[in-house]
Amino acid sequence: MAWGQEQPVPVVFTGTRRELGGMLLRGYALLIPTIGLYRFWLTTWKRRFYWANTEIDGDPLEYTGNAVQLLLGFLMALAVFVPLYGLFFYLSTQSSETVIIGYSGVAVVVWFLMGYAIYRARDFRLSRTLWRGIRCDQGGSAWGYALRRFGWSLLMLPTLGLAYPFMAANLWSYRYRHSWYGDRQFGFVGSWKQLARPFYISYIAIGLIGAVGLGFGSAMGAMPVSGTPDPVGYVPMVIAAALIGMMWLYYRSRELTRMFSSVRLGQAALGVTVQARSLAGQYLLFGLALVGSYIVLALGGLVVLGTIAADAFAGGEFDPELFMQHLQGSFTVLAAIVFGYLLLLAAFSLMAELFLGLGFWKLVARGASITGVDSLRSVKARGEDTALAGEGLADALNVGAY
Amino acid sequence: MGIAGRFHDGLMAHVHAVGLEYEQLGGVGTLVIRAQDQSELGRWPAADLFSVHGRKDELRLGANGQPTGARVVVRGREDVARVLATLPVLHEKQRQQTGREIRLAVTATVALAAVIVAYLYGVPVLASRIVGLVPPAWERSLGETVARQMEASLGDESGGGMQICDTNPDSLANRAIARFGAAALEGSESPFALDIKVVKSDIPNAFALPGGQVFFFSALLEQAETQDEFTGVLAHEVGHVAHRHGMEQLISTAGTGALIGFILGDMTGISVAAGLGATIIDARFSRDAERQADTFAAQVAERMDFNPAGLADLINRVGADDEFARALALLSTHPLTDDRKAALEILSRQRPTGLEPPFTVAEWSAIRSMCGAPAPAKTKSK
Repeated sequence: MAWGQEQPVPVVFTGTRRELGGMLLRGYALLIPTIGLYRFWLTTWKRRFYWANTEIDGDPLEYTGNAVQLLLGFLMALAVFVPLYGLFFYLSTQSSETVIIGYSGVAVVVWFLMGYAIYRARDFRLSRTLWRGIRCDQGGSAWGYALRRFGWSLLMLPTLGLAYPFMAANLWSYRYRHSWYGDRQFGFVGSWKQLARPFYISYIAIGLIGAVGLGFGSAMGAMPVSGTPDPVGYVPMVIAAALIGMMWLYYRSRELTRMFSSVRLGQAALGVTVQARSLAGQYLLFGLALVGSYIVLALGGLVVLGTIAADAFAGGEFDPELFMQHLQGSFTVLAAIVFGYLLLLAAFSLMAELFLGLGFWKLVARGASITGVDSLRSVKARGEDTALAGEGLADALNVGAY
Repeated sequence: MGIAGRFHDGLMAHVHAVGLEYEQLGGVGTLVIRAQDQSELGRWPAADLFSVHGRKDELRLGANGQPTGARVVVRGREDVARVLATLPVLHEKQRQQTGREIRLAVTATVALAAVIVAYLYGVPVLASRIVGLVPPAWERSLGETVARQMEASLGDESGGGMQICDTNPDSLANRAIARFGAAALEGSESPFALDIKVVKSDIPNAFALPGGQVFFFSALLEQAETQDEFTGVLAHEVGHVAHRHGMEQLISTAGTGALIGFILGDMTGISVAAGLGATIIDARFSRDAERQADTFAAQVAERMDFNPAGLADLINRVGADDEFARALALLSTHPLTDDRKAALEILSRQRPTGLEPPFTVAEWSAIRSMCGAPAPAKTKSK
């Protein structure tokens, strides 16, 4: 039998939204007594859920990392951040010009470090991914990747973003060509040519839509030179923004489809189809879920306020003076503010994880299939890679996904 | 044939459909992994077994002494239950592992809580120590920078920066104020020379910058009805200079930001939670600083004849605490005025008698008219 001629094997995702939701709610509740430290455990549980429910040819992935590694990584990242903090503090006491130059300098350094962090975080996740008893891994150099990404982003500025397809293809390629499954190296056959068409079409379309939207908007009085803006003028702008969002989703779906479908592993090939409308559907669902959860929270908040300060609402009218008297105790008010904020934040991140995080993972997993899976049976395990302790910098810079 | 499972040997990416059997010989249990043709693929001693996390209704077993990726996978609720019933060691190890993680999480939490408590109680002390290490020249230049920025933001209407009320440093009023400042600061071992400026502004306010600059806005001066009130506020601001509160606050704000970032894992500190947390903690330090400055004013009042409680009266007149301020007192950078007044009255109870007043009648009337005639109080901005 010739490799690659067999039927493609679909990737299956077996997890449910309910299961993840329960886990997240339990995790959020535990974040409070642990002063936030439970986040390392929550991340670990989340990853175990995603990995364990992603099944390829009958065998699910396994995430072998643990929370302690993440905690240690975070502590190590502090070593980078404490000097940066000192620098920030020193800069904040200087004259305004020095402050602006200094802050820009720090921002550039952080932007550079983000590339390093992204690569290290990917290394951490890959080297803790097991499939059929064989571990994945990532080679290459995180500093090299950071430099590459930084250089490309420098080129993005003078080209007004036109260099993007080259940058994206180059970085995708670097990431996959340095990835390993056991002793077999991943390959990448994609190039900028696959991205150029959708990218430049979206680029031009976004430019045109933006200009038309702004033109109509200002013609209809959204941005008068003087006087109050006419709210009718915002209508074309909002429509234009929605269309721009659609174009962006269209491009993103093309990039994901074409780049993921360029990933090779020996004779095995990955094929992924992501539809723009599925991506849009996710954002729509997320928006609805968010609005719904905020309405529920607002109603709940009103009920609570109504019970603790019933007379302020007496007779169907709200009496702020009376209400404030009820809140005399500073600690009560403060606790209410903090708790309310935490609830809003929790609702947001819960909906984001359930509808965007899980939604995206499911979308890619369900759109994926692999040809030539049987060729992978001869892959052998490689030595251990235990040098990585966590992905601290990524955590601290907030670039770690999943 | 035992329980059906899948086996990965951890060396090659093979999948073996296997049957699992459990042998017990002389008290030593062994998991025997058999291929479909009954050949033996592995014998794992029960004591070495451990389970790793899998999805629902799936049991994934590994064993010490085997390749790290080697796994036996059993699926289906019934089969999983049967294996678990046969191998109580799995439960035991799982419990130990969970126990270890809980202990670690608790230890880390306690450590973090200790850091926070130490921070809350230690930083005012620590910050004042660190401030002692800051070269006065640096603090002075910092104060000048702040003053320049403030002038730029406040004086944009007239265009010419802030307007000093009485530009002649040798005028009666300016000399009296400078003399009072020097006398108030005396004995505090401050490395700074005071520079008190009365400037024109509609905002009733007075404040001290790092490095010894004190600003007193004309609107506040106009609202002062007695010498006590003006002198009290001025002594309070001199107190900020003597304690180097400006610098102290900068240091503690930086520390708070770092701590909150550590708790939230958001070192960029841009989230609302970070802002709110930092505000609560910094406001607490700031209230402490205000109380210290009030105490300083009361100490000055033991050397000169004025009632420091007047400063609370003036503050109260400029902006009385409303219900809202009372409700949000923990977020406020200043203590509630009533509390300050009460505290100041207690502090000024043992004031010696027969002291010289800080300003003569002529000086006080010169100060009153520094910014133009002592006009009737303007309409307040509040």
